[in-house]
Amino acid sequence: MTLKWRPVIAFFYCQNIPEGGWEERLAIEKKHKGAVRLFPIPCSGRIDGVHLLRALEEFADGAIVATCPPGGCLNFEGNLWARKRAETSRKLIKSIGLEGERILIVEGTAGKSLDLMGLAEGFLQKISLIGPSPVLYPKDMPPGTGVGFSLKGESVHDYC
Amino acid sequence: MITAEQKPIEEIRHMIMPYKKILLLGCGSCVAECAAGGEKETAMLASALRMAAKMNREDTLIQEKNLDRQCVRDFIVQLDGIIHLYDAVLSLGCGAGVQAVAEIFPEVPVIPALNTEFLGQTKDQGLWLENCLGCGDCVLYYFGGVCPLARCSKQLMNGPCGGSRDGRCEVDPETPCAWQLIIENLTRTGGLERLESVFPPKDWSRKQGRGPRKIVREDQQR
Repeated sequence: MTLKWRPVIAFFYCQNIPEGGWEERLAIEKKHKGAVRLFPIPCSGRIDGVHLLRALEEFADGAIVATCPPGGCLNFEGNLWARKRAETSRKLIKSIGLEGERILIVEGTAGKSLDLMGLAEGFLQKISLIGPSPVLYPKDMPPGTGVGFSLKGESVHDYC
Repeated sequence: MITAEQKPIEEIRHMIMPYKKILLLGCGSCVAECAAGGEKETAMLASALRMAAKMNREDTLIQEKNLDRQCVRDFIVQLDGIIHLYDAVLSLGCGAGVQAVAEIFPEVPVIPALNTEFLGQTKDQGLWLENCLGCGDCVLYYFGGVCPLARCSKQLMNGPCGGSRDGRCEVDPETPCAWQLIIENLTRTGGLERLESVFPPKDWSRKQGRGPRKIVREDQQR
């Protein structure tokens, strides 16, 4: 049996963006069950570097943050802080030899909707190209035997 | 407060390499205020070190704990019964905190994760300035509340040097000229005549001349 790696991403997004509602969440979860773990948050300013790092440490091959457009944060500057913290986390993971591209922050554009499904799929594709996280699949370890993460008894890293 | 910055992760990894069970010890006082060794920074460093260990297939246990103050015995004793479970402590306290923990638990190696920098003023969010050298003989009264030793690049007790331009230091144009500030402050608040005296060279014996300094307050002691 051949093990096939499937990327898993942690998707943090601000609930205040127009597309951050329940329907979008259900649609993403239905289509990418297990591959996209969603973390809706009241404001992207709540995101801390440790959230992104813990996601990468425990289950995700990549972490993405979607925020309101610059100047569009209900709490004035939550999205600015989210960007700074994501950049700090990116520097930190690069310092331990992990690809910086595994953390992505996307800001919305004023007057234009943010396609969460498209973002999730684009990032999944990007992570597929980068490859399995060496944290979850350490050196010399075949994909599928690394440290996984299970939710309600289901393996997030599916293999076939 | 005491300011500090985290050491490069390669240096930290090199120092903890011989140990298998490591306790990261954060401090909730000065180094938390300057975002170097508080709870968040400890959690981030612990996560990064765990990831680095996994990537390199190292069998290392890395856990974290935070003390409100790492330089005070009453807080450090909270580690009693815990610290012996670890091969080493990686401290995110200042130099005083590292040494205090090492003194109370001498059998466990305590490794510094921070470079302790200076006595700092929080000028703005994310900006700390060295405005005090802790010389042990404060002269701020004579200089309008601006320390010429800490804030003048040339440490002139009898300034100005004459090299400043537009109120900025000629050594580093990003630094405001301390002597310009001194004269402005004394002019505004009165007391410019204090500068008519010639100040002798600084007597550093109260800072470093008699070995390590200590303060004894019998009224505070048991």
